[in-house]
Amino acid sequence: MTTLAASGRADLRIRNVVAIWMRHFTAFKKGYLIESTGILVEPVLILMAVGFGIGRLVGEVSDVSYAVFVAPGIVVGNAMWHALFECSWGAFRRMQLHRIYDSILSAPVSIPELAAGEIAWGATRALMTTVAVLAAAAAFGLIESPWGLGVVFVGILTGLVFGGMGLFFASIAPTTHSLTLVFTLVGTPLFFFGGVFFPVESLPGFLEPVARAMPLTPAVQAARGFATGSVGLREVYSILYLALLAMLFYPLATWRLRRRLVI
Amino acid sequence: MIPTAPVVRAVQLEKRYRKMVAVDRITFDVRAGETFGLLGPNGAGKTTTMRMMACISPPTSGELSVNGLDVYRHSRAIRDFLGVVAQHDGLDPDLSARNNLIVHARYYGLLGKPAEARADEVLEFFGLTAKAGDDVDNLSGGLKRRLTIARAFMHRPRMVILDEPTTGLDPQSRNRVWEQLAVLKQAGVTIAMSTHYMEEAAALCDRLVIIDHGRILAEGTPGEVVHRFAGSETAIIRVEPGAREPLVASMTQRGYHVYDHGTALVVHGRDGDRPVVDGVDATRISYRTSTLEDAFLALTGRELRDE
Repeated sequence: MTTLAASGRADLRIRNVVAIWMRHFTAFKKGYLIESTGILVEPVLILMAVGFGIGRLVGEVSDVSYAVFVAPGIVVGNAMWHALFECSWGAFRRMQLHRIYDSILSAPVSIPELAAGEIAWGATRALMTTVAVLAAAAAFGLIESPWGLGVVFVGILTGLVFGGMGLFFASIAPTTHSLTLVFTLVGTPLFFFGGVFFPVESLPGFLEPVARAMPLTPAVQAARGFATGSVGLREVYSILYLALLAMLFYPLATWRLRRRLVI
Repeated sequence: MIPTAPVVRAVQLEKRYRKMVAVDRITFDVRAGETFGLLGPNGAGKTTTMRMMACISPPTSGELSVNGLDVYRHSRAIRDFLGVVAQHDGLDPDLSARNNLIVHARYYGLLGKPAEARADEVLEFFGLTAKAGDDVDNLSGGLKRRLTIARAFMHRPRMVILDEPTTGLDPQSRNRVWEQLAVLKQAGVTIAMSTHYMEEAAALCDRLVIIDHGRILAEGTPGEVVHRFAGSETAIIRVEPGAREPLVASMTQRGYHVYDHGTALVVHGRDGDRPVVDGVDATRISYRTSTLEDAFLALTGRELRDE
């Protein structure tokens, strides 16, 4: 087993990663109109309802209007949802229901290449929604600094982290049913307690460090820093933490996929 | 045909899953240009053997080489060499039939215009041109299977591995697949396939092995296997219920496999002969030519599997 596995680990062919990515792009092109609702319409509705609706009641948070406060978090929070959904539910469906991974792995493609292609596509989806919602937020006047373009970078990084995490969960989930836990127990808590809607400082003392360690929190921190033009050491640390998580989940997902598929 | 070096060489090939032995140290060759059949009941080890050949599943022990390449060290090169049709189609429901082919070809480095041209060529050969733009989910089982086989030929492999290519197809689709495989065989493609259809194996395979419980029970041309294990003819004997038992006892004693069908006893011949039945009125015995199915049942028994 190790010898066969080693032959796949030895060389990572970018050509094959691109081929996996192209599979997703080809499938995506077919349904882009429907996809655009998830990429743009839904998050913008949330942004408007929360930013302007609730924002009017809230007033200012951290010296900015609530809409300005919440916009970057909604951008990267949405990037998380897209990458997580694509690489957990989407990947599980491809692997288990349709056995597409079996077809791909009967061709000269290795598991690390397959995983890299999946995560790259998850990050691409995160990028698409980041750009779309960021542009909408900018049009609403909610992005105060040209540094705001940096949110795109944070969106990609968020996609890589949650793509890897999603693929890891897909590779260990026994059933589609159990996979819903990824959304109820992972996605939702991160989205609501990761600093998107209120500063993590306002959580009870013992919860604050927990919230800070959660993988969406640094993304929100960095995105907010870029959007408001205040990029400091904290944002740099946040980005390094995200990069570390991305580098952790990729080999973890690859390892579990191999255990599941190479039997 | 000029005798050629084997394309697949398996020596003492073994696959274990924890304590379960799926493939029990089997030795066989597949020669260049031939159609090689793997026959056996469900759970016999056919799929496991083919997955090892396709470098999808690593052997536990033993030697296995494909096209002169060791499966332990050259997994990628072997997968590049082979076309593979797994038991499950593994088609992509998010892509059209044609895009299924084009997307798959990219994994072999075939892309752009040449990939599109090849897809159209393969669709044409498998009679799928009219379905090129269809969603895979809208195709019938037979069309899906043909598309799966078509996909395996995108990169022009000189050998294909087919795991039950016709299971679940109606007779029309099945015959269509057989015709297409025969054309590919004529073109020199080496084929290794598993099947439950004995007539399929008898018609297509140059050589075959019958495996059960992970072991090879018989090996040879379909004709050789039939003659050796079911003889030239099979006797169907209609006797009164009372006369059955002594007859079964005496035939069994003389080494024949006797099956009580309820209405009749079925006795296969062996070693090229027809069974010799004594003490029964000749009018109660009829003979028919033995088939591969007779040999298969004689070798693997009649108890149901998958239970």
